[in-house]
Amino acid sequence: MDSSSVWSFDLAGGADTIVAVATPPGHGALALLRLSGADTSRIAAELCPGLDIAESWRAQLTVVRCGDGLPQERAVAIVYRGPRSYTGEDMLELTVHGSPALVQGVMHECVELGCRPAQPGEFTRRAVANGKMDVTQAEGIADLIAAETAWQLRVAQAQVRGVLSARVAETRRVLVGLLARIEGELDLAAQGVGAPPGELAAELATAVRGLQWLLATARAGERIRDGVRVVILGPPNSGKSTLFNRLLRCERAIVSVHPGTTRDVLEAEVEIGGVRVVLADTAGLRESSDLVEQEGIRRAEAAAAAADVIVFLRDARTVAGPGPRGWEPDGRPWIGVLSKTDLVNGPVSGDQRWVAVSLTTGAGWEDLESRLQALVIGELGETDGVVAVSRRHAAGLRAALNELGAIRLAETEVAAEAVRAAIDHLGEIIGDVTSEEVLDAVFARFCVGK
Amino acid sequence: MSVTRHADLVVVGAGHAGCEAALAAARMGANVVVVTLRRGTVAQMPCNPAMGGIGKGHLMAEIDALGGAQAWAADRAGLQFRMLNRSRGAAVWGPRAQCDKARYSQLMLRLLERIANIELVEGEATGLMAGDARVAGVQLADGQRVIGRAVLLTTGTFLGGLLHTGAERREGGRFGEPASYGLGKDLARLGLELRRYKTGTPPRLDRDSLDYSKLHEQLGDDPPRPFSWRTREVRNRVSCWVTRTPPVVRTIIEANLDRSPLFSGRISGTGPRYCPSIEDKVVRFPDHDRHTVFLEPEGLTTPSMYVNGLSTSLPRDVQEEIVRAVPGLERARFLRYGYAVEYDVVPAVQVSRTLAVRDVDGLYLAGQLLGTSGYEEAAAQGLMAGVNAVQVGRGQEPLLLGREEAYIGVLLDDLVTRDHREPYRMMTSRAEHRLLLGVDSARERLMALGVGLGLVPEAAFHVERARWEARERLETRLDTARVSPHHESWTALREVAGVELRRPTTWAALLRRPDLDAEAVARHVPGLAEVGDEDRQVIVSRLRYAGYLERHERERERMHRLRGRPIPEALLEQGAPGLSREVEELLARFRPRTLGEAEQLPGMTPAAIAILAGRIAGFERRGGDGARAGV
Repeated sequence: MDSSSVWSFDLAGGADTIVAVATPPGHGALALLRLSGADTSRIAAELCPGLDIAESWRAQLTVVRCGDGLPQERAVAIVYRGPRSYTGEDMLELTVHGSPALVQGVMHECVELGCRPAQPGEFTRRAVANGKMDVTQAEGIADLIAAETAWQLRVAQAQVRGVLSARVAETRRVLVGLLARIEGELDLAAQGVGAPPGELAAELATAVRGLQWLLATARAGERIRDGVRVVILGPPNSGKSTLFNRLLRCERAIVSVHPGTTRDVLEAEVEIGGVRVVLADTAGLRESSDLVEQEGIRRAEAAAAAADVIVFLRDARTVAGPGPRGWEPDGRPWIGVLSKTDLVNGPVSGDQRWVAVSLTTGAGWEDLESRLQALVIGELGETDGVVAVSRRHAAGLRAALNELGAIRLAETEVAAEAVRAAIDHLGEIIGDVTSEEVLDAVFARFCVGK
Repeated sequence: MSVTRHADLVVVGAGHAGCEAALAAARMGANVVVVTLRRGTVAQMPCNPAMGGIGKGHLMAEIDALGGAQAWAADRAGLQFRMLNRSRGAAVWGPRAQCDKARYSQLMLRLLERIANIELVEGEATGLMAGDARVAGVQLADGQRVIGRAVLLTTGTFLGGLLHTGAERREGGRFGEPASYGLGKDLARLGLELRRYKTGTPPRLDRDSLDYSKLHEQLGDDPPRPFSWRTREVRNRVSCWVTRTPPVVRTIIEANLDRSPLFSGRISGTGPRYCPSIEDKVVRFPDHDRHTVFLEPEGLTTPSMYVNGLSTSLPRDVQEEIVRAVPGLERARFLRYGYAVEYDVVPAVQVSRTLAVRDVDGLYLAGQLLGTSGYEEAAAQGLMAGVNAVQVGRGQEPLLLGREEAYIGVLLDDLVTRDHREPYRMMTSRAEHRLLLGVDSARERLMALGVGLGLVPEAAFHVERARWEARERLETRLDTARVSPHHESWTALREVAGVELRRPTTWAALLRRPDLDAEAVARHVPGLAEVGDEDRQVIVSRLRYAGYLERHERERERMHRLRGRPIPEALLEQGAPGLSREVEELLARFRPRTLGEAEQLPGMTPAAIAILAGRIAGFERRGGDGARAGV
């Protein structure tokens, strides 16, 4: 069988039985193998002599065959009976010692017994096919596995719980109600049945508001998944690299007393306030005749232009100039840092947007951290803390809003078409009316064994 | 006396389904015997004295385009013509006419009598001549027999009919007519499941007893529009009258609810939600203290007025109390009281799209017997059953219409593939491709099919085609002719349009703009200004629908293409995401070879077909094919 037919149909209902290693490759204390499909019982019985197949949902100590010429190994097995399993099919989970050779051997046995190595995402795809979860929940699983920050985890967990599905479904219900009333207008006009026109407009507005809110969380979705870009900017020798290292909690950038030490843009990822942040250290901004330094400054300016948040440093001993050369906040959120305050006698003055900090003594650090955190979280924009839609969701929401935006309720039968189309777009987000392309796009993100 | 007749088609019942079936089959050259209780009760209108409406008018236009008689008869028996939804776009216009019931019946009788290969037999069909999953004819009460290559039952509400007024209950199929029992038993013997439905009708009042000063007059359209291509013009002869029930009606009904057979449990059948009785309305819509009542004349020669909106099966004294509480009806004289009728239906999932009973040879069913309500729904089924009985009998392809081709397609598709628990009534919201299926396009869509089957004369087709071709030419002109901001045609129009034109554009593009009153502007557009109101509105509607029409057209072409494609084996075994368990089981059990066959399965839904189509398309995109898919 060729791989194209495998992809199109086996993933749908899953008659054949698939196997994959669910733990990462390489050495580990343990490794987990998963089997799913109609033949799981037969294969499990042959693979693990002595395993009690009838004993479901319970960990059993058993032995497992692991290839020609190798002795059997001990394993812990759990038998799941569909539909009470992750995929909704019969499943076997097998935990063995994490030797690559052992895992290889067990995999080989499984294939010998009739299993097919699974495609990426195939377990979850079968779960969707069998109605165990909808498409947004499956996406949530992928996000959950990939989550590295607290916010990524929180949003992914909510999505797996079905929070996003519920919000979309809620608006979809409003639209279905609206459509029903529009249809009533059309079909029962003669019987004097009709909704007051204001009510239809109000229902439409409710739906549009719901969708607009969800769409507004796309910004948060993007920032949470891709990270908030924070760029450190300032004149030479103001302490940018020291701040950079401090935020990363490691000596990533070279720090020296010589102005102009940092020539290039240095980027690193860090979690601030639970949010993924892409932090950039830049060359000091000044007039320079050094060609390399000029290029460094040009790059610093480019990084600043693409920043979500800017941290601007100034040595507290210098006089506040007419404004940092070449840098305008452009309405973007920024925070000013007066550095090296330990070298200043007496109080440091600056307006409210400036924080006085000594990176040597640690004075003012907490203030800076909490302000930076507030700015980063503020960058997320609209979100209730659990819903932040992805680009795919945003595309569907935008398409639905486009349909609804053009509606003229007076043109009743055309309005009905538009509402129907919007309902379909929302259905596509959840996976009620999912086209093949959507499914392929969703499951392209998975690794094998999920 | 034991006479035996032979026919190609035996039609039992001469209601709206039976008449259309007999006419269609006879026009196609078949010999038809129609069995009816009495000649005088052909094509009765036992309920509303009106034909058409929204959805129903669409069906009539299609029946007409396929050569049926209903529209023709309604034009001639029509007393008042109105286009419902006229203020909306052309796709949802619903032509409707009040009709003279007696004249309608006479017209149909004369038409049947005039056709040489139709024989009308008076008698009661008491049994089916059946054996071995094959029906060969019908047995009449007086011993006569009619042998037919096909038998079509169109018995309406007569199977096991039971009439209710309050606690009073008597057997009957219709007011003053006996019910039928033998046929129902034979159907059950053939393994068919029967179900109980009910419907109701309001009281009839003497028109001379109404106080017209308290009623609001409702006039017909000016000018009135005929239904049929066979009719040149029609005339309005009467008015209808409108009033509303006062809040006290609720009190009266609530006090007597225990005497309603609907609520006391005496009626077990399920009624139509879309045509509720007044007691239903009061219970279900407690927020409405007034309900609209239309008084509709039942004919020119009868004093009878139909009280549309007051359908009821409450006892007579309560009916009187309710009616006399309504403004204008205080001194109304009752000619007949409202009643509910309970009857047996054969759930239509047991017939195929040709309306032939599955697994029984030679037996067709159509009309209210299959669980529909309405004269138009019945006529549409009758026409299709008549045509298909002949086609199948001759070994030729049956006439099957898709959901995207006609409301008739939607009707039959809904009937045979879905389980219904109440009388089925056509509504435009049942048609996914509503914008394509306007009354205005019925002839374009179907008339050529009618010609091909011998139901429509070719000459009539040419006349009609010339009309729509002229319209198409005008549409092309609007698409190409340009209007520019400085041109005098625009300067004259500017005020009417109320919008600014910055760049030159086409008239078509201008009329599609959402911010302008297209109807008003169209009156001044060169070419459009000269055509009649109706044609102009149709053209404007089509322009406004353009984006959606293209979408539907693409979907329609896709479905058409996919219908013949094989369904991969694996899909049958494993199903697909989004399909319900029921649909997956259907696929596994019946193993349809193509999407077209899958559509025919009972219980198959349009949504499931869309998903299957997506799967098949997706599969083809990956370069697989059906035969290789058995993985």
